[in-house]
This record gives sequence, C-alpha cells and structure tokens, in this order.
Amino acid sequence: MTTPLLEIEDLYAGVDGKEIIKGFNLTINAGEIHALMGPNGAGKSTLSNILCGKPGYHVTSGCVRFKGHDLLKLSAEERAREGLFLSMQYPVEIPGVPITSFLKHAVNAIRKHRGEPELDTMEFIKMVREEGKKLGLDAEMIKRAVNVGFSGGEKKRLETLQMSVLQPVLAILDEADSGLDIDALRVVAEGVNALHTSDNALLVITHYQRLLNYIVPDFVHIYADGRIVKTGGKELALELEQKGYAEFIKEGL
Amino acid sequence: MNTLLQEVELLGDELPWLKEYRTAGREAFVRLGIPTAKTEAWKYTKPNRFLSADFVFNPHGKASVAMPDITFPFDACRIYFINGVFAACDPELPAGVEILPLAEALMLRPDIKELLGCRADMKERPFVAVNTAYLNEGVYIRVAAGARPEKPVVLVHYVVPEAGNGLYNLRNLIAVEDGAKAEILEYYCYTGEPKSSYLVNVVNEISVAANAVLRHYKLQDEAFKAGHLAFNGVEVKAGGLYKAFCLQKGADLARNETKVVLAEENAAAEVDAAYIMNGWATIDTTTDIEHLKPYTNSSQLVKGVVGGQAKGVFQGKIHIAPDAVKTEGYQLHKAMLLSDEAEIDVKPELEIFADDVKCSHGAACGQLDAEQLFYMRSRGISEEDARQMLIDAYLNDVMAKVDDENIRAWIKLSVNSGQSA
Repeated sequence: MTTPLLEIEDLYAGVDGKEIIKGFNLTINAGEIHALMGPNGAGKSTLSNILCGKPGYHVTSGCVRFKGHDLLKLSAEERAREGLFLSMQYPVEIPGVPITSFLKHAVNAIRKHRGEPELDTMEFIKMVREEGKKLGLDAEMIKRAVNVGFSGGEKKRLETLQMSVLQPVLAILDEADSGLDIDALRVVAEGVNALHTSDNALLVITHYQRLLNYIVPDFVHIYADGRIVKTGGKELALELEQKGYAEFIKEGL
Repeated sequence: MNTLLQEVELLGDELPWLKEYRTAGREAFVRLGIPTAKTEAWKYTKPNRFLSADFVFNPHGKASVAMPDITFPFDACRIYFINGVFAACDPELPAGVEILPLAEALMLRPDIKELLGCRADMKERPFVAVNTAYLNEGVYIRVAAGARPEKPVVLVHYVVPEAGNGLYNLRNLIAVEDGAKAEILEYYCYTGEPKSSYLVNVVNEISVAANAVLRHYKLQDEAFKAGHLAFNGVEVKAGGLYKAFCLQKGADLARNETKVVLAEENAAAEVDAAYIMNGWATIDTTTDIEHLKPYTNSSQLVKGVVGGQAKGVFQGKIHIAPDAVKTEGYQLHKAMLLSDEAEIDVKPELEIFADDVKCSHGAACGQLDAEQLFYMRSRGISEEDARQMLIDAYLNDVMAKVDDENIRAWIKLSVNSGQSA
C-alpha cells in the first residue's frame, strides 16, 4: 500500500492557550478530493493554519504526517517546498512586491529544494501570463503588486494562479468560494479541477455545498467542535444542505 | 588632548590666507568643542566617542596603496580618493566639466578662495571647523553654463583601514553654472579589515545657479566601526533645482546633514534619503531647508529600516522667511523597526514666517507585517528572503526618487549585497 499524502491522528491543538482542535483524525491519499464542511467557529481555519505552519498556534498532542514524515517539525516554507499549498480565505496584500517576482521567488525556492535549475525569467513570465489568462487575470493585473487593489474574487483567482504555478501535492482550499460570484466560482473551480491528477490531492474547506457542485469530492466530512463528527460520500453535502449542521452535530456528539 | 586636532604640516601653509583660514578652523573647533547631550543639534547623535578616539592623520597616502578595483555598471567620470588623499581622476572629462584636486585649485586659482566657507559656516558646526583646520584634500568641480555632461561624475572615497584609525577630511566645491544640468554620485566604501574606527569628515559646498539642475546621489557604505560625518551646504538660485538622494548603510556613527538655501524665486530642492542599519549603529539624517524667496519649493522623503539595537535619527527643518510667500515645503519621515530594541528619534521643525504658504510634515513608524511574512513563507520563500523582499518593497518609493535608472539599479543592488549588514 502506498503511503497516504496526509495523515492526521488524534490532533489536539489551538491558539492563545485555547484548545480549538480536539481529537481530529483524517487520512488523505493521492488522487482524492476531500471536503471539510462545518459551521462558523468550528475551527476550520485553525486547522488549515496549523497544517501550513502559521506561527502562533500550538499543538498539544497527536501527530500529522505528510508523505510519511512528521509535518509539524517543518517550517512554513519547508512545508510549501514539500508540496503543501494553502489557498487562503483572506489573501493578504503586499504593496511593492510585484506578482511576477513574488511567484518567481516561490517557484525557484521550490525548484531549488527539489534540486532543479532555476527558471528562465522570460519563459516564466510567459507561463504566468498564460495561466493567468485562463483564470481571467490579464497581463496588466499580473504586473501589479500581490493582491493590491484586487477585489475578493480577483484575490481568489490569484490564489488559484499561484496553485497552478507552484503545482502542489496537497492543496488546501480555505473558503475558496467566499466572495465569488457564480461566474468567478466556475472559473476558479475549473482552474482547480484542471490541476487535479491521480498524484495529488485536495482538501476543500467550505461552509456551503455550492462549491462542491463544481469541485466534486470523493469524501465529505462534517466538522464540528474541533473534530470530524460524520464522514460520507458527496451526497452527504446535499443532505447537510437540507438538514443544516445542527442535526449532524447532535448526532455526532 | 583629543586627536581630532593634530599639529600637521599641510601643503600651502606658506600661503598666508590659507594658513589663516586653517587656523580659524582650528580656533573655531577649540571654541565649540565636541557636541554634548546639551547641544540641541546633536541631541540624539552623540559624537563624543570621537573625543577619545585614537586618530592617525592620513596614515598612508596614495603611494602605498594600489588603485581599488571598483567599477560601475554605467559610464561615469570617476575621481578616486584613497584614505583621504586624491589618487586619480579619469583623464577624459565630459564636455563642459572642469575638475581639479582641491590642493591644486587652492594654489593655482585665486578665485576658489571666494567659494570657501560660503555654504558651510563653521561658526556653529564643530566638524566643519575640523574640516577647515585640515583643509587640503577634496575636489573642485565646475559644470560650465549650459553644459549637459552625458555621464555622471562619481567621487569614490575608498578606505584601506589596516593602517589604523585614519582621520580623513574632504572638502568638495561644486559649482553648477547657469542652465547646466549635471549628476554627481558620491560613494564611500572600504576594503579589508572592517574593524577600524576611522572617521570620514566631508564638507560639500554646492552652488546651483539660475535654471541649473544638480542631481546629487550618495551611497555611504563605510566599515561598521567607522564614523562618517558629512555636511552639504547648498545654495540654489532662480529656477534652479537641487535634487539629492542619500542612502546610508554603513558606519557605526554617521550623519548626513544637508542645508539648502533657496535664495531666489522658483528655486527648488528635493532632499530624499534612506537608511538601513543593524547592530549598534546610529545613523542620522539632518536637513535644513531655508525658503528665502517667493515661489520656492522643497520636498523631503526619508525612509529608514532599523534592526538590532541601532538608532535612526531624523531632524528635518523647514524655514520660510517673511518674504517667501507662495512657497511649498513638504517633509515625510517613515521608519520600519525590525527589532524591539531598535530606536528612532524624529525631530521635525517648521518655522513659518510668511502667510500664504503650503507646508506639511509627517512621521510614521511601523514594523514588518507578520501576515505578509507568513503569506510569503507559505509559498516556499524563506523567511530571510521574505523579509528582504518586504524591506525592498518598503523602500521602493524612496528609491524611485533616484531619477537616473542606472544609478538607481546600482544603489538597489547594494541594499541587498551589503558589506556592512
């Protein structure tokens, strides 16, 4: 049996001394798409931040393995270079740092880690422009500073562009649909789907079933009070949409 | 006895006027003494360590030191000083540019005498007084009326510090005549043993005549225990523009002081600066812009990045004389503190004696944004690279003040490759 991409075992963790994740278990294999659905305040963003190594969070117990190795020992940048990617709920603006040089630094850091030569600048810019075009980000926008002056939807498109350029093994999409209208949602979902292969995996974190019409999951997990209370197939998301979270949470506890 | 004033024989002591002038400098320094904490102009930057320093006067001149291998990625007319001594000048001068070593100019050109001390009053500036006491080295640069030299004049001051704690005094006289347009770059650097506590003390006396433009760039990258003191005295005539940019990133104690007198109508000055520092350094940017006549304009943007236990100082003064109506003066200082122990001291002063003027000043202070850092790291960029990219981005607007794109690229490169970091 091949090693799973991600294994989370009995994780207890939190922030500012407050326990938010309480006994979380999840295994993701290559080729799979998982959806993690939960109400506001369930700790969805805490989980994605801990997985990506954001400073300020603490892990009390449990373990997280990425490709068979202890993920929690690695710094944020090492995790990214190993192929972990977080499409953020609120991408931050970085005035003065152009998208192209930002992405070039990132790609070359990852390539260096893999022992690959750095990319040629002209070819790289051409590639970024082409990928951007597919996502509805024109060359003018790509010349700008990272996320500066971007609408909510444009920021999400840029997250997807970064994902397509960095080619992660495991991408976590944290509320990738927030702030998107239907057309933008479709564009972003198509971009994500185009990247999905049998060698990589997706963890889609969302409130609503809506996004899952476009990115169809193999597994749906209902997340409440710091752990998974129920797991099912894609039909679980539809059921959840009809019944609401309350019933499942009661049942799971 | 402090070693700032030593009995030395200087070339030209036989000329009575020169001997007298040097003696006046000596006396002025003795009278003023080294500034203390009570000296308002030196409240935040304390040069008292120069009093106990063990200075050697010009430990070795050009003869014993090989020419430095310093090249610029752009065409330039270069003048080299090694350990405070004029060493060489590119033989081919751009059309309309006259360059003479100061020592030569003092001997051969009686008219030079009239320029000395006009823009740099030593009565209240102890280090201008020291500079005057040793007056000998430096350069005289004249850009003839209407000339548009096609390349910048670059002054390189290069220290080979093994010999000890040298005391290097330079006086540069720069005259840009009517309607001329020129660029000057000063570059202060060193090689070898970085622990020398030498002191570079520069006085530039600059005149920008009617409708002339001088772009004056400077990169101060001294050894990390060195001292660097510079006074730029500038006068701008009608319709002239003096545009300065100074990046300081070296030295343990440094001040770049600029006084601009906007002497006639429509004279303008832009005095921008940046500083990047670590360790225990104190880097000081002091400006004083005097608007004497109507329709004069000035603006200043100064940005600093301070880490370690270092201290950044900005003292910025705008003075608007009663006559100087319809003038505009702007000043903005911003600093980024990289550590809890880093410090900045800011003293803006506006003295406005005229009505109908537009004047403003501002100061802001911040630090690296943790969210931005994480965002970059989450994409695989190392923390160090991410910090550097954010610092570069922070300095972007002030770097953009360097109009010459070759010089701008060269200065930007030095930010990332610092000897002194």
